[in-house]
Amino acid sequence: MRREDAPAAATAKPDKDDAYEPVTGRDQETVQCVRACEAEAAAKTASDYEHVVWAYGVLWSLFAGYGVLLWRRAVAQRQDLAELRRRIDEA
Amino acid sequence: MIKHRLPLLFFAVAALATPYSVQRIFLHTGIEKKMGTVQKIFYFHVPLAWIMMALGITCGVAAAIQLRKAATGRSRMAESLSIAAGELVLVTGLGVLITGPIWGHATWGRAWTWDARQVSTGLLWLVFAAFVLLRRYGAAGSERLAAALAVFGAVDVPVIYYAVKIWKTTHPTTDVVGSLPAQMWNSLWPALGALVCLTVGVLLVRIRQEQDAAELDDAWIALDDRGRALTLGGAP
Repeated sequence: MRREDAPAAATAKPDKDDAYEPVTGRDQETVQCVRACEAEAAAKTASDYEHVVWAYGVLWSLFAGYGVLLWRRAVAQRQDLAELRRRIDEA
Repeated sequence: MIKHRLPLLFFAVAALATPYSVQRIFLHTGIEKKMGTVQKIFYFHVPLAWIMMALGITCGVAAAIQLRKAATGRSRMAESLSIAAGELVLVTGLGVLITGPIWGHATWGRAWTWDARQVSTGLLWLVFAAFVLLRRYGAAGSERLAAALAVFGAVDVPVIYYAVKIWKTTHPTTDVVGSLPAQMWNSLWPALGALVCLTVGVLLVRIRQEQDAAELDDAWIALDDRGRALTLGGAP
């Protein structure tokens, strides 16, 4: 069969997306190297976030703790004032 | 009335500024190239250190006024301010001394390197810890010794600031903050504002508490004196 006799569909150029392209570029060694870098970066980011959460947590906990201390002092002061008023009324 | 509402105003601003600054830091500020995500500790660690130093100076100046006025009579305001600021140096100082090593652990590989800035900050914290303990548990007359200690502590503040210029330290020099890109400054300002508002609010509450405590003490003494006078007067 001559070449010109082939069906039109067979000779028509395939769509660009469907076109076969051989895999080129990264060899196995490069791929492994990239994966190792990605894993290291992910571990660093996870560790960084852990440190950030600890730092922010400690910071706000300190202020919250001091706030509780001030509130307890205020309660004690109110009780002291009430006791003073009671004594004055008695006197 | 305004005096009582003023701390609430500062707390309200801090409550708005804190989430705003956190979202700016994490969503609108790029990740620093050398240190990575952990550099985001900077936005609260550095302003907290500035506030700690400002409070140290405030406490020292108030204590100096207290010492100066001791001859002519007690200065309640100066005394209350020095006590409140001294306590807050402990809180903010502890924050700096914990967040710093956390950052250092991730960046330098060591939490504590004994560099001059770390040591001088630790020293400041210890001096003010002694001040607070002396104010709380000291015998009569110890308030003058405590005030002198606060003045000594305030002198350490310039040492902390210039430590990175005088000695070779693992901390970066003071020029680093000035050379920050605009994006980082835009996140640093709200964080600083939030912390300043929170600290000023707490400071005002603590000053008020200390003044109330002093007035209560006076009232108790007056009541006791009156009772004693009545007993003596009524005795046969």
